Amino acid sequence: MLMKTALPLCLTAVLCLAAGCRSTRVNTVEPAQPVANKQMISDQRVLLDQSLNKAVSVVGVNAATGPEGFLKIQVEVENRTRSRKLFTYRIEWFDENGMLIELPTANARPRSLEGGERAMITATAPTPKAKDFRIKFLEPVR
Amino acid sequence: MKNARLYALTILTGLLAAGCAGPKVTYVEPDSSRLVTTVEGINIQDFAQAADAMTASLIDNLINPGRLKSSVPGEPALLAISRIVNNTSEQIDTDLLVKKIRVALLRTGKVQTSTTIAFGGAEDPLVKELGGPPRRMPDYTLSGKIIEVRARAGKVRQTSYVFQLSLSNMDGIAVWEDERTIVKQGTRPSVGF
Repeated sequence: MLMKTALPLCLTAVLCLAAGCRSTRVNTVEPAQPVANKQMISDQRVLLDQSLNKAVSVVGVNAATGPEGFLKIQVEVENRTRSRKLFTYRIEWFDENGMLIELPTANARPRSLEGGERAMITATAPTPKAKDFRIKFLEPVR
Repeated sequence: MKNARLYALTILTGLLAAGCAGPKVTYVEPDSSRLVTTVEGINIQDFAQAADAMTASLIDNLINPGRLKSSVPGEPALLAISRIVNNTSEQIDTDLLVKKIRVALLRTGKVQTSTTIAFGGAEDPLVKELGGPPRRMPDYTLSGKIIEVRARAGKVRQTSYVFQLSLSNMDGIAVWEDERTIVKQGTRPSVGF
């Protein structure tokens, strides 16, 4: 008797859960031989949160400097999970002496990625004095 | 003996209750991700985000390609702040957006802002009074608008804030324009990112 009622209940619960957590994966298409010539730079990573690293994984970083000396960076990130993930990121800029350049526009930017989605995070240095950068990724806290 | 224990327990409970009842306040860095976010209303981080995006767009499209021209060779271009219209349901100080952009542009070393020539009067009236007529006219003016759009579907509420800015030269031609939209969704009055 117990099995007869418990089984349909369990099945219903599983179906409800599956419907609530349905994956939102992304299909993409791009040229097989891209024309753009990315200037990829080698990066150094400190990974303390492995689940966050799965939700927002850095694929590569490329950088270029414009005619007036402003550094522009582009970070390709990928969500390696099956569901939509939220995160915030913060970019810090440093001068040639490694000193932090403080700005009133500094902020933690919210961003989301669908399951399996790749996206670009672009940023331009606030001054030609900025020679280095650091990007911090965080899980949403509120 | 029993009474003494009871008194001690009561005092201890009272002290604990007093200790836990106090207000819990903490300082938060303005660029952290721990700031309060609300669906209805522009939060301080929204202004920083819009100003950051606008400054980056100005640098990318005008300053870095060398398209920003100064009427005085060897000196930074001079900017005057024109009208920034607030078309939201809130009373906001548009300087929360404009000042951040001004500071960021000044730090590029390519732009300076006039404090005596501005829409609605001089920002610094004393300089205008003591300095006499301006020796230099602005090369560009910055104008814009902040617009609010609300939507609701069932329990989900959505508020969008559209930030529009234009940089015009003295011929009245917009040499740079951009629009940034910040969209916030939530089911309750207060949500996080």
